[in-house]
Amino acid sequence: MESVGKRKHIFSKPLLWVVLSIVAIIQIFPLVWLVDFSLASSNEMFTSGLLIIPEKIQWGNYAKAFVDGHFLLYLKNSILINGLAVLVVILVSIMAGFACRRMKWKLSGFVKTLLLLGMMIPIHATLLPNYKIYNMLGLTDTIWALLIPYVAFSLPQGLFLMTSFMESIPVELEEAAVMDGCGIYRIIFQIITPMLKSSIATVAIMTFLNNWNEFMMASTYLSSPKWKTLPFSVLEFTGQYSSNYAVQFAVMALTAAPAVIVYIILNKHITKGVAMGAVKG
Amino acid sequence: MKKKIISALLVAAMAVSMLAGCGNKSESAKSSDGTVTLKVFSNLPDRKNGQGLVEQMIIDEYMKENSNVKIEVEALDEEAYKTKFKAYSMEGMPDVVSIWGQPSFLDEVVEAGVLAELDQADYTDYKFIEGSLNGFTYDDKLYGLPRNTDVACIYYNEKLFQDNGWEIPKTYDELLALADKINAAGITPMAMDGGDGWPMAVYLSDVLFKLTGEDYSDVVSNAISTGDFSDANLKKATELLKAAADAKLFQNGYDSQDYGTAMNLFTNGQAAMFYMGSWESSMALNEDIPEEIRTNIRVFTMPVVDGGKAAATDIAAWNGGGYAVSANSEVKEEAIKFLNYMYQPDKLSKYGWENGVGMSAQDQSEYMTGDETKLQMQIVDAVNNATSVSGTPVNDCGPSAFKTSIESEIQSVSNGSKSVDDFLSAIGTSCK
Repeated sequence: MESVGKRKHIFSKPLLWVVLSIVAIIQIFPLVWLVDFSLASSNEMFTSGLLIIPEKIQWGNYAKAFVDGHFLLYLKNSILINGLAVLVVILVSIMAGFACRRMKWKLSGFVKTLLLLGMMIPIHATLLPNYKIYNMLGLTDTIWALLIPYVAFSLPQGLFLMTSFMESIPVELEEAAVMDGCGIYRIIFQIITPMLKSSIATVAIMTFLNNWNEFMMASTYLSSPKWKTLPFSVLEFTGQYSSNYAVQFAVMALTAAPAVIVYIILNKHITKGVAMGAVKG
Repeated sequence: MKKKIISALLVAAMAVSMLAGCGNKSESAKSSDGTVTLKVFSNLPDRKNGQGLVEQMIIDEYMKENSNVKIEVEALDEEAYKTKFKAYSMEGMPDVVSIWGQPSFLDEVVEAGVLAELDQADYTDYKFIEGSLNGFTYDDKLYGLPRNTDVACIYYNEKLFQDNGWEIPKTYDELLALADKINAAGITPMAMDGGDGWPMAVYLSDVLFKLTGEDYSDVVSNAISTGDFSDANLKKATELLKAAADAKLFQNGYDSQDYGTAMNLFTNGQAAMFYMGSWESSMALNEDIPEEIRTNIRVFTMPVVDGGKAAATDIAAWNGGGYAVSANSEVKEEAIKFLNYMYQPDKLSKYGWENGVGMSAQDQSEYMTGDETKLQMQIVDAVNNATSVSGTPVNDCGPSAFKTSIESEIQSVSNGSKSVDDFLSAIGTSCK
């Protein structure tokens, strides 16, 4: 018996390595490709090969992306809007999750279903009606025009993960807290929240990645450069018929960088969060 | 009690933020000290090159000459532009907007009443090319002005042609025969942007015009209004497009390759011809293209079709993009003033010519510098010697559902996955 187990061990390890390496290469290749193309000139772009070796490394693409693409302004806007959206989504989804799961009131199940229904609404369907509403309220071209829909569209997913994760926290903890004279807000923020760490990371990363590259709503609800986000930067190099692809690649590489960094930082928690949330209904 | 206080606070916070928002909104376009803010909504997001640069130059110049006017530009690329245009047309259209002088775009927009009517008499001195205002006219009223004249061109590499002893085809049959010869030499005959749909629809229109001659617009508008595309000429034109694909005139996989890929085949010498509009005449000046290729780019137009009514000098040309003024603009007079300023013959027309962005819709002959490339001159000659022009390509003649349908179905009919009759009835259905 022991020898069988051992042989399995010997074979499975290299196999695991091979499979994982293949997956890693498939995952990482697009990023390598992006950086590679961002350093070539537009003319070298159309080769039949997978990667190109630039004749001269075109750092100028990045300089152009920074200056002509208003990169820093758009980066600031993107970080601010996405950061706020993540904070609000986490705060609301924890509180709403607690209210729907742990507090006993007549409509708790109904409210939860209603909020989760939001997952089924496609962005396209809401684009023009929302524009009309924002216009009436005078919210177009303000930070609210992006913050509200970003939070609204990420909230159902966040709530779903939070509620299912909250199930795994024993009620006895809260009961003990109440016995010791703890109020409801203290229960949420001092007892529950610290235990939700991995699902907070998951919700944060999902919200952040969903909204980081969002362009359709941004282009519809914004008109002046004041609050424009990073995807607009790519647009600055789009011509009427053909575009400056090399600089667009540089912009995209710069746009992808923060998202990748955030992912790496929170990566540890995300898998745990999704897996634990998934088992509980 | 606590709950009530919190909800009251929340309501108050929301009300305050809304009021704050409204405060921004009420800022009038015309402020008390006489400064006017004009909002320009443009489909040219790249403000540093080509047409976008020309537009920005004129805007900067106008602001310098009129210190009381401030112009704010919002630019999006075509897809996003059209989505946002819909949003704007519900309320609050910017003052000056880019439009397309084609029924697929203009009809819906004019019927919604978002564009201001322009006075035709104002433009008699603006040297607009005969017929170029037609696409921008609806019910005999003028709603916009055209920016460019676009010609459907077959660019070719003269050196490749000479080295191999190929000749410019005089008839469509010769063009197909030429495809065999070029293929035999191991070169792609014609680079075609089939992935986008519209270049092939232009090709189809080009062939149709060669068949129908001056009846082109009647045939097309008839078919679109009745939804019946069984007209013999329409069928023949579709069959000719398919014949070209069958004769391997286009590159392998043309039906999925996009603009840049097709153009690159031509500009690096892998293809002998390239089917595209006259706006690409700037290829001759583009230093990213190897010199031996860019100096050898020449152009011819679609050869005549046997049994067709049009002569070689009847060319497929139209006036696509342009500008209009919003009907509900608070500063309509200022907007029209700016529009007219742009169209002074020495603005759009002259700057456009000098920057090689193609032909304007106005007479440009006085701005010729003598330094034009041969390619530019060939296109100018083609237009000047034209005995008639086609007008709007088929795909832009109908409602937007028709445009979507023809541009997505045309690949299937050309590569044989859909029969000609099925194609014609499918695009007919989309008109109803």
